[in-house]
Amino acid sequence: MSLLEVRDLEAGYGDLQVLFGVDLEVAEGEYVAIVGPNGAGKSTAMKAVVGLAAHMGGEITFDGEDIAGLPPQNIIERGVGYVPQSDNVFPTLTVEENLTIGAYLLGDLPDERREVVLEQFPILGERPDQRAGNLSGGQQQMLAMARALIPDPPLLLLDEPSAGLAPDLVEEMFDHIDRINERGVTVLIVEQNAKTALRRCDRGYVLAQGENRYTDDGDALLSDPEVRQQFLGG
Amino acid sequence: MEIPLAQEVIFGLVIGSYIALGAIGFTLVYGLVNMINFAHGEFITIGAFVGYLAVAEVGLPLPVAVFVALGGTAVVGWGIARITFEPMNDAGAVPLLLMSIGLGLVLRNGIRVIAGPDRRSIRTDVATYRFDDLGFFVTSQQLFIIGLTLASVLVLHLFLSRTMLGIAMRATADNEDLALVSGIDTRRVRNAVWLAASGLAGVAGVMLGTAQAASPTVGFGQLLLIITAAILGGAGSPYGAVAGSYILGIAVTVSVPFLQRLEETLALNLELTALNSTMAFVILIVVLLVRPGGLVSAEVRTS
Repeated sequence: MSLLEVRDLEAGYGDLQVLFGVDLEVAEGEYVAIVGPNGAGKSTAMKAVVGLAAHMGGEITFDGEDIAGLPPQNIIERGVGYVPQSDNVFPTLTVEENLTIGAYLLGDLPDERREVVLEQFPILGERPDQRAGNLSGGQQQMLAMARALIPDPPLLLLDEPSAGLAPDLVEEMFDHIDRINERGVTVLIVEQNAKTALRRCDRGYVLAQGENRYTDDGDALLSDPEVRQQFLGG
Repeated sequence: MEIPLAQEVIFGLVIGSYIALGAIGFTLVYGLVNMINFAHGEFITIGAFVGYLAVAEVGLPLPVAVFVALGGTAVVGWGIARITFEPMNDAGAVPLLLMSIGLGLVLRNGIRVIAGPDRRSIRTDVATYRFDDLGFFVTSQQLFIIGLTLASVLVLHLFLSRTMLGIAMRATADNEDLALVSGIDTRRVRNAVWLAASGLAGVAGVMLGTAQAASPTVGFGQLLLIITAAILGGAGSPYGAVAGSYILGIAVTVSVPFLQRLEETLALNLELTALNSTMAFVILIVVLLVRPGGLVSAEVRTS
């Protein structure tokens, strides 16, 4: 059974509709990437899943339950971790406090979860009292992922985790995502960096103009001449 | 007679103290509810009257009256916010501001109708401690006001840095959308902010009731200084508000001998010392020109 299932999703902001029928399916343990040109609605699809974009039609099912139109808190509560593309840490809070906020729904930060997450991102353990706003871009991205992973969510949504990072850091970030996925967390990412994302993921979706275009294994999409020509720059 | 500098500093610390408790609440509401609450002065007035009633009518000792005013004003302020501000929370900053101006007017005049325009002082026994060698004195009332403020700031600090709700409050002030997708119930956070802001206003009210008197305009009279202190400290930052309040309080009092000397030196006869409360706003203007984000936020912005 799919962990996340999206059918005919229509969504947007206020009067502006961005998605006109998007289908997504993410099985438990899978690593799925959504790619596509600017303005395709990739991020909006993700925001609609967590309740940040207005739901205008279609179904969203997580773990067999209908979550369409629920407020963000109730969706996070069910086990969806979400890392926005930008402004994804609390800048005036320390690293430790950012992790603590990740445990808001648990009441307090369990030592065991902190250890698991810091083992994944050891650099964060070296500077628990540093303000998050003073971290480098790559470190902020790691902290944002760490915060989302604290409640041990079955599904992690990452909106452009490589945005704004130097090329060597991009690979490091994808290595982190691989490891998160290997540990049993289902991962759905939106990526501008389409080639890297498709090479790394199990399956990919190509969105354009608010609709599905192609769906296949990552490697198959990478070698598909039509996808290459239209979306991957030849 | 010339008043020694140490004495002016003590007066400044007292003024800074009641501005501080007002400014913390004002700045918390600004940072978390995203509104400028012009009715915040009236919350202080309510605290002053609750304190007065507790001491003069019920006969409670002052320290107990402080807790009564804290709790009473917290609940009343939260209730008022639930009825007036919360339903229009998404309307934006300007409608909320207008609502608060109207609400302040209604509360101020409502209190005037019920309580009359009289000034009712919260009477307490005052002991004076003289330090003649050092050239200043301090009263038990002044020590009480300064001590109570420092204790309140310490409790607030522990709340904001050690409790999940306090950290969630700072997180929501940083980034409300991110707070929502971290699972924070921002409505619960707003409720807590109204309780804390109103409660602190209540404590400030009791202080003003003892140092001055409970009157329908006692809180409103402090509002401009409170707003100035909050902006000076960097709007939204409670620690900045405390710093801003003491800078302001001391600037207002210490400028008296400074202005006196200036007048003597220049051999003028203009009563320059009457300008001392204006000094607060001179400082504000200078700070806004040099460091528009206030004292604290510049540090955040450079990162």
